[in-house]
Amino acid sequence: MQAYLAAVWAVVWKDLKIEGRTRQSISVMVMFSLVTIIMFNFALGTDLDAARGVATGLLWTTILLAAILGLNRSLALDRENQVFDALLIAPMPRTALYLGKVVSVTLFTLLLEAILVVLFTVFFNEPFYQLPVLLVLFLGTIGYIAVGVLITSMTIQARSREVLLPVLLLPASLPLVLPAAQAVAAYVTATGPDDPILASVRSAIFLVLAYDLLMVAVGLLTYHYVVES
Amino acid sequence: MIRLDGITKQYGLNPVLRGVDLQVKQGEFVTLVGPNGAGKSTLLRIVATLLRPTAGTVAVGGWKLPQQAENVRAHIGLVSHQPLLYRDLTAAENLAFFARAYRLENAQERVAAALQKVGLFARQRDPVGTFSRGMVQRLTIARATLHEPDVLLLDEPYTGLDQEATRLLDNLLLDEAQLGRTILMITHDLGHGLSLADRLVILWRGRIAREVKRAEITPAAVYDLYAEVTTR
Repeated sequence: MQAYLAAVWAVVWKDLKIEGRTRQSISVMVMFSLVTIIMFNFALGTDLDAARGVATGLLWTTILLAAILGLNRSLALDRENQVFDALLIAPMPRTALYLGKVVSVTLFTLLLEAILVVLFTVFFNEPFYQLPVLLVLFLGTIGYIAVGVLITSMTIQARSREVLLPVLLLPASLPLVLPAAQAVAAYVTATGPDDPILASVRSAIFLVLAYDLLMVAVGLLTYHYVVES
Repeated sequence: MIRLDGITKQYGLNPVLRGVDLQVKQGEFVTLVGPNGAGKSTLLRIVATLLRPTAGTVAVGGWKLPQQAENVRAHIGLVSHQPLLYRDLTAAENLAFFARAYRLENAQERVAAALQKVGLFARQRDPVGTFSRGMVQRLTIARATLHEPDVLLLDEPYTGLDQEATRLLDNLLLDEAQLGRTILMITHDLGHGLSLADRLVILWRGRIAREVKRAEITPAAVYDLYAEVTTR
């Protein structure tokens, strides 16, 4: 088990080192998110109610699309110089490669989300900084990146990978995003802990958690076939 | 050390390898030559556990593929014309990463020794992206031999190297051969391939067309033999 975790950590360490040096994934994700927020802020103008109405949806849309950029960049890095071949002939379990990648891209996305929570709180004047919201974002990110790494690994060699990835990933993540967005919206708009809007949150979080477990399991079971085919 | 029996590889309806039988003894240096599309890289990728044959059996060091692939992977090193290195990591970081991937003990010492061996110790803190082609290829050898594999697989390692870099790589490969490693190398340079190897194997249209030991042929005659075999 220790050797397995060391293999996972090796992949994470390598990705963090490269990102720390190049900042290519994070900077692209943050730039994209900033442009999206500013654009929507201008489009919605001074109508604060309208802005609040779309804030949660906009937050998730920004995260989903920015994470696609991060996924593409992070997995393309392993294909440059065919370095992925060297990973495949190393005697490390394929699942450790998969988990390492999920952890590192999740960390990049969580960093982006920390920035987004501050920006959305400022721009939309809604309390996105609450702990339950952060928890839902965290859980949603795990499931999304788990399925994202799997699909990106399938599409990364394709010539039209930039098109293929969102076309496959966004529909596949709908069962995760819908309850996650619902839960975030409920927490942000609730007037207090007894607000009836929070009644549906528990089942929404349960769905997010179930999706996370299912997708991580699917990833662990199928990654081997994806990278060797 | 390497044993291939009846290896066939087909992509769709297109056969790339058609029943290849090849044995490479422990400590032997074999050069595999053939025109583009003959199936050389496919054969090497099968031995490297990166591809599965359509039919036939492969064993490396007594371990069968694909059943015992993880054992095989621990005992092979691959050098390709692509560096298989992260250009944004430094030389030392690249080797440290692969030392972790191979679960090597005394990783720091091994990395330092590997860098010394290929003459890159002084450049260990420089990103690989700043290296010349020759330096990258020397670092590639360091990466591929970091875990002291029994088998070294080389896929056109001389591509893009100048004369000085070629000479340095020759010396490194001969050192590795002296250590008793089994080496299977693909190259387009017949004379060069023969000068390093114990045996030259010509692959033609997915089959082994001819095998010749270095002692049995002169460097000049090898070109005639190659032309004769590949124009049949």
